[in-house]
Amino acid sequence: MAILNITYQGQSADYELELDFAASDEDIRRIAVEVVRSGGVRGLHVAQLAPNAFDHFVIDRLRGTEGEQRIYLRPKVPFGAA
Amino acid sequence: MTARIVVCGVGALGSTAVQLLRNVDAELRLVDFDRVESKNLAAQWFVKQSVGKNKAEAVRLQLSNFYGAKAEAMGVRLAATNAAQLLAGCTLAVDCFDNADSRLALAAAARAAGIPLVHAALAGDGTFGLVRWDERFVPDREDVAGQATCEGGEHLPMIGLVGATLARAIQDFVRAGERRDYMISLSGVART
Repeated sequence: MAILNITYQGQSADYELELDFAASDEDIRRIAVEVVRSGGVRGLHVAQLAPNAFDHFVIDRLRGTEGEQRIYLRPKVPFGAA
Repeated sequence: MTARIVVCGVGALGSTAVQLLRNVDAELRLVDFDRVESKNLAAQWFVKQSVGKNKAEAVRLQLSNFYGAKAEAMGVRLAATNAAQLLAGCTLAVDCFDNADSRLALAAAARAAGIPLVHAALAGDGTFGLVRWDERFVPDREDVAGQATCEGGEHLPMIGLVGATLARAIQDFVRAGERRDYMISLSGVART
């Protein structure tokens, strides 16, 4: 079990995932599209979300403060805005 | 021992964080090769009188003139050839660069010197940012070269939020040695 945190269009929310860190990036992106479309992620419901919406997003696999598996699906952050 | 902090890149995130570090119990060293342009006034902590000045020097002058706070300015571009020299004597390095190559050069030098390093970074659309310690940070590259940044000023509130979160992370490190990572979105600031 892992927590999938999705950040999309400035909103960020958690979703309990049946998978763990071993899940592939492709699977995580596919699942994320499905749960956001279905409204399964609180505060992140986009019924018409494009299937490639997360193609350029970054996936981080990090341990949470309690040691839990947390998977972050997030936009790229290339800038310090110089 | 007084902390010595080197802030690399004093554009939007760096300049915003530095002005919030003006009372931190540390000596500040600022590194940036770039010059202040009038367009920077919309999103970076610079005043009209700083236009044309080197950014590191401009921040140093503003800290001194507005608050009587001292800092050291290094108006050079950090690269593999001079990174060790720019970090010399510092107890904390802060990455506010706007490109992956500079971030990597800084990280390599900080790791080689055993200096803790914290990164701050922002999404191009201004909806999301990260403050993350080097142990868990991998720099993201632009999707396409020359991708639009946040310099137009429309993302200033998010720049302020990420810069303030970075300043707090630095404050916690200086005060208690804590290394806290944060994720900043329009939903709020979350520890990660």
